[in-house]
Amino acid sequence: MTLLLILLIVALTLLGLPLFVALASGSLLATFNAGLDPALLIVELNRLAASPYLASIPLFTLAGVVLAAGGAPERMIQLFNACVGWLPGGMAAVAIASCAFFTAFSGASGVTILALGGLMFPMLTHAGYNERFNLGLLTTSGSLGLLFAPSLAILLYGIVASVSIDQLFLAGIAPGLLLMLMLVIYSFLVGSITAVPRHRFSWRNLFIALREGIWDLLLPVGIIVGIFGGILTISEASACTAVYVLLLEGVIHREIHLGKNLFPLLRDAAVLVGCILVILSVAMGLTNLLIDAQVPMKILGWMELHVESELQFLILLNIFLLVVGCMMDIFSAIVVVVPLILPIAIRYGIDPVHLGIIFLANLEIGYSTPPVGINLFIASQRFGKPVLSLFRSTIPFLFLMLIWLVMVTYIPSISLWWQN
Amino acid sequence: MILPEPAWIIRLRHALTRMETVIVGIAFLLLLGLVFGQVLARNFLNTSIPGADILSRYLVLYVTFFGAALAIDYHKHIRLDVVAACISEKLRNTIRCPLYLISAAVCAVYAWAAWRFWYDDWQYVAEHERWSSILALITPFGFTLLALNFLLVALFIDSRNSSKQ
Repeated sequence: MTLLLILLIVALTLLGLPLFVALASGSLLATFNAGLDPALLIVELNRLAASPYLASIPLFTLAGVVLAAGGAPERMIQLFNACVGWLPGGMAAVAIASCAFFTAFSGASGVTILALGGLMFPMLTHAGYNERFNLGLLTTSGSLGLLFAPSLAILLYGIVASVSIDQLFLAGIAPGLLLMLMLVIYSFLVGSITAVPRHRFSWRNLFIALREGIWDLLLPVGIIVGIFGGILTISEASACTAVYVLLLEGVIHREIHLGKNLFPLLRDAAVLVGCILVILSVAMGLTNLLIDAQVPMKILGWMELHVESELQFLILLNIFLLVVGCMMDIFSAIVVVVPLILPIAIRYGIDPVHLGIIFLANLEIGYSTPPVGINLFIASQRFGKPVLSLFRSTIPFLFLMLIWLVMVTYIPSISLWWQN
Repeated sequence: MILPEPAWIIRLRHALTRMETVIVGIAFLLLLGLVFGQVLARNFLNTSIPGADILSRYLVLYVTFFGAALAIDYHKHIRLDVVAACISEKLRNTIRCPLYLISAAVCAVYAWAAWRFWYDDWQYVAEHERWSSILALITPFGFTLLALNFLLVALFIDSRNSSKQ
């Protein structure tokens, strides 16, 4: 009977039952089976509310929504273009840097492709890059920046795995920069081989772009200095970021009319926060019931019989997470999969901070992996191209990202360099 | 079967959406003000706002539940609709009603559990902590609101739908 009900919940989920309802149904089923009071699930929800990092999620989300609604994408593109646009492959580097910056604030929710893709695609085409390269670059860049502070995915992993978010922010810097560097080198090569015409470097343009974009550029610097300088906690940094962004877009650049647009922006941010945190709140109950039923221990017992080394485990983990990344939204994947994987990974000697970077790196790639990576469908819709042509366009970029994934997974010091 | 939307349901939906938007906006602004106020108080006045930590935790829950209620209205909840993406629009519309009814029922059970939990807590809470217990009403109220929103989208065609999606 229980198995039938589980299969029914899975079937309904695949048919479109909201994920938080599916998890809540599973939690209720587990409590009834164990003869427990469902009020226990509310205890877990209250425990989640006590997390000191929780307030940072809505506040960083608000900052991302305000930046997206204001003129930040245009200012970033203008600034990076003035800095590196004159190099061979420079315009592609502009796209990579702008997408990474923007995703760190907006979360990899497809907003980057929608907001920046529309601006960058004609610019890249005008600069002389071929269409296949442009589509591949912008589709895969939609999740770049996921490892940089104050990415929502990092915050969520830190809360779910009870890992220090400061350490996760530090650990994400080198792998994130490494991936950007690899993509920039590839773009330089493509730019040189296809003889893309270059524009001249202009101090005047750089000065104008810097004057417009300096305040945006100071934002990540302020967050990093504030947190690692011991001046601000994560939640305080998120409040300062939100206030700064509101002042930036509402007072300095006047892209947003605070009186008229503030409430719609708050509502949009709240919808995003509601979708994520309501999943987290019901998943905590289910996770604890699964842990009480020793499910991770049973998986671990099975794995110890069949998986002998850390290397074997990591290979299996990569394959599993790439599939998860293709099928699931990043936030749901973190909430559902991390609590089950974490005790097993620790048993195999993997640092939880390193696991977080591996986890997010896999999901970052999964986003653009055919046949069901969500970025492919968002890009198809945004650029009006068939999904099949996007499959072909993303292949060279996916190949590079897989090389990067191998490096990040099997060389822990890339993420944990600061530990010594 | 999805019913056409009678006038009183339209009014109820408008009132709910307006209430949710206003409360979510106020809660968000209070949260921002409170956490930012803490930064100023700690760094410039060497003090802290009393009760700010507890209050900010509850404000996050207010933003979460009212945001989640608005997400039902905007059809924005995260789904793993792998199969749903492959089936016809007509079939998808047909299964939408039972899926939302199930969602309403599940949220109603959570609401029932949350109301019981809150009532038990209320009976034993110390006098000086009553204020936080009142704020904790958001959990049972939030799940009740989610159940109501799911019920409305399950049973009635939303005449405002096209402009929102």
